Amino acid sequence: MNHKMLLKFAIKAGEIMLKSGAETYRVEDTIIRILSVYNLDVVEAFVTPTGIFATIDDETIEMITFTKRIKNRSIRLDKVSLVNDLSRQFVAGKISLKDAIKKLDEIDKTPPYPSYIFIGATAFASTFSTAVFGGNIKDCIISLFIGIALGSVQTFFNKTNTSRFFIDLIGGGLIGFLAILFTNFIPSANLDQIIIGCIMPLVPGVAITNAVRDTIEGDLLSGISKGVEAFFVAVSIATGVGIILKIWFMLKQGGFL
Amino acid sequence: MILQIIGALFASFFFGILFNVSKKELLYCGFIGGFGWFIYLNFLTLTNSIVFSSFLGTLGVSILSRIFAKIRKVPVTIFLISGIIPLVPGAGMYRTMYAMLEKNFEDSSFYGIQTLQIAGVIAIAIIFTSSFPFISKNKGV
Repeated sequence: MNHKMLLKFAIKAGEIMLKSGAETYRVEDTIIRILSVYNLDVVEAFVTPTGIFATIDDETIEMITFTKRIKNRSIRLDKVSLVNDLSRQFVAGKISLKDAIKKLDEIDKTPPYPSYIFIGATAFASTFSTAVFGGNIKDCIISLFIGIALGSVQTFFNKTNTSRFFIDLIGGGLIGFLAILFTNFIPSANLDQIIIGCIMPLVPGVAITNAVRDTIEGDLLSGISKGVEAFFVAVSIATGVGIILKIWFMLKQGGFL
Repeated sequence: MILQIIGALFASFFFGILFNVSKKELLYCGFIGGFGWFIYLNFLTLTNSIVFSSFLGTLGVSILSRIFAKIRKVPVTIFLISGIIPLVPGAGMYRTMYAMLEKNFEDSSFYGIQTLQIAGVIAIAIIFTSSFPFISKNKGV
């Protein structure tokens, strides 16, 4: 029995899940389940959205504590599901610790969807959201183009490790600008529907859902911090769109256009 | 209306890709999103209340997500997040901000409160189904 290896495995599994957008209580639960395999006296895990702490202790070993700080996060629900599967297999005894560690490394390296698919998905997500909110066919086509621009900008900034809030601010501004540009040249296109549809890919759906689910499970600290994250993302988007619209109003009123 | 539901279906499908949901689950994500919007629209025409319809729509999404999570043996979040996206009050946020820009504070507070209400009922609807013990508390699902 190698306790250190087990703890490292558990922490690594938790780290991947937390980074990929799993709920905090699920991460805690996974770590405790993995650590409980050795039937130790003390198994404790404390997870917040920005860090993991876990301790194991038993009469036969020295107490071991491991702390892991989590910095950059991205939404990788495929990894959440893969690690979830792996931890279940491990707990059920279907896979040895060594194999599990190897498999975990493989999961960590799974590539996301390639950029062109990401950009395409952003474009179509905007298009169909515009349709959902009652845009006409012209609005949908405009949204498709704005979506492509938005997806490209997001991919570019994601590579440079820029803060999420800044990307949302820029994204909101871009949407506002392009939407005004297109609606001015194309008659019978609706500014509202286009903007609403196009901001949907930026809307913090994951943060909102996880904030609620963490709160239900009694993980109040995480619930609050995710809620704050969602709120600031929403404010960033609104500010981005708002600044551009405000400039547009001012230009119009000033008679420059 | 059918067009809007198909729109929601495809929107959820593509949001699934944005969240890097694996290929096998994408169709289910789309289906759940379309189903939620179907419930929302039907009750909207019936009751004319956005808040109440959002509640029922989310309820439908989260129940279906739980069932699918059980069948497909994946965490429920995967379906819940993608399925809920069309119901998230992005439109309310935008209208609040727009009214604020026009210095129309009456409209802005109306839309702002409505947005908060929608966010609130979505949260309650998720809590409602997540804490309901009818599908045993099989942890990890």
